[in-house]
Amino acid sequence: MTQPLAETLTHLRVGNQTFLIKFYQENRDLFARWARRQHQLQPAVAHELLRTVLVEFYDQVADGRLTKLPPDLRAHVYGMAAQNLQTTTDESDVLPAAESGRRRRLLGLFTQLTADCQQVLMFFYFRGYNFEKVAGKMGFANATVARLQKSGCLRRLYDLHLRAQLAADPASGDA
Amino acid sequence: MTPPIDLRPYLDELERFADGQMSESEQAAFELRMEQDEQLSAAYEAYERFTADLRWVAGHETLRHRLKGLDKRLDQRQDALARIQRRRRRTQIRWGVASGVLLVLAGLALWLWLRPHTLSPDEAWARYYSPDPGLSETTTQRTGNLLLTEAMRQYHNGQYPEALQSMRRISEASLSPDSLYYYMGVVLLRQDDATAARTYLLRASRQPGSALAGKALYHLGMAQWRTGLLPQAKATLQTVADDAQNPYQAEARKVLQDKAVFPRD
Repeated sequence: MTQPLAETLTHLRVGNQTFLIKFYQENRDLFARWARRQHQLQPAVAHELLRTVLVEFYDQVADGRLTKLPPDLRAHVYGMAAQNLQTTTDESDVLPAAESGRRRRLLGLFTQLTADCQQVLMFFYFRGYNFEKVAGKMGFANATVARLQKSGCLRRLYDLHLRAQLAADPASGDA
Repeated sequence: MTPPIDLRPYLDELERFADGQMSESEQAAFELRMEQDEQLSAAYEAYERFTADLRWVAGHETLRHRLKGLDKRLDQRQDALARIQRRRRRTQIRWGVASGVLLVLAGLALWLWLRPHTLSPDEAWARYYSPDPGLSETTTQRTGNLLLTEAMRQYHNGQYPEALQSMRRISEASLSPDSLYYYMGVVLLRQDDATAARTYLLRASRQPGSALAGKALYHLGMAQWRTGLLPQAKATLQTVADDAQNPYQAEARKVLQDKAVFPRD
């Protein structure tokens, strides 16, 4: 937590999630106690709530919805958690509806892929691993296998995406 | 609203281009085609948007997975710590119980060892009575009294009835009365006939000017104690204890100090 706030935000924006991982590690039990006292939540439920809130916080930073890190991050996170318990968060009021909807839909489709496919796509598109490293991490024979696997997974996701689009707007299929 | 583009016909090329898998010439040719082909250019834009969304999704999911994995590890660590604490507490309880039991046993042993122990009359007698060693053979031979020599030999051998018989056969003329009464009393006391011994020892202790009177007083006191005459025994032994010349002074003091034998008034 000694990292300057602006630097932290930059790190988060470029995908360095260490700050939030450390935050979770250091505040999990404290948060669970607070959630039990304030909202009568069991530890496991409280832990899940904190994870959800941190992912949401990360999404806000990654989307550019959050441009300034709150001075008291813990209070901010607790506030988000309290809000999460009261209402179903809807980010469309901040993020353009089309973009928000598109990403949420894609997230839903992504979870339909196999665990291996999800992992390959996360390694390549988020961690920025090259094919050789993906192969090493996934236990594939070589970089070519990793490339083919990634390509196949991307196609599967795109197929799901197309099918979802057609289901939502059948007219677009005629185009 | 423009209808969405189907990327499938372009996907291979777009992917190779975006992933840097094309050779330099291929890349230049592809870039030129994009400038000339509107459809391809639109497909590239759609592909970029799709992969940008995918990057967002991948980041979201990566953080979710990492937090979930961390949560599992923290749970496992907490469980392990709780297990260690439980085990340590159990061990502490076990040691506590063992120490408690040991302490109780040690206390019990100490109490058994230090508790006031009442001696039985025989134990007390064996502990405190200091019998007369009797006369040596040389001494008796010097007297020329064969019966006395015989009686002392039997006394030394623990043959008390025989010693008594020999003593009774000694004529009063051949041995001074104080010696006769004294040794009769001493032998009777060894034979555990304290009542009979008392009479002889009383007489011996009252013989005027007798060297054996002091010793006789000790044995008389012990015979009185043995027969349950405690006040008399106490008084007699106190006299012995107060007499610095009496060879049994220490023995008399020792028995008088035992409160179990002679309780204080």
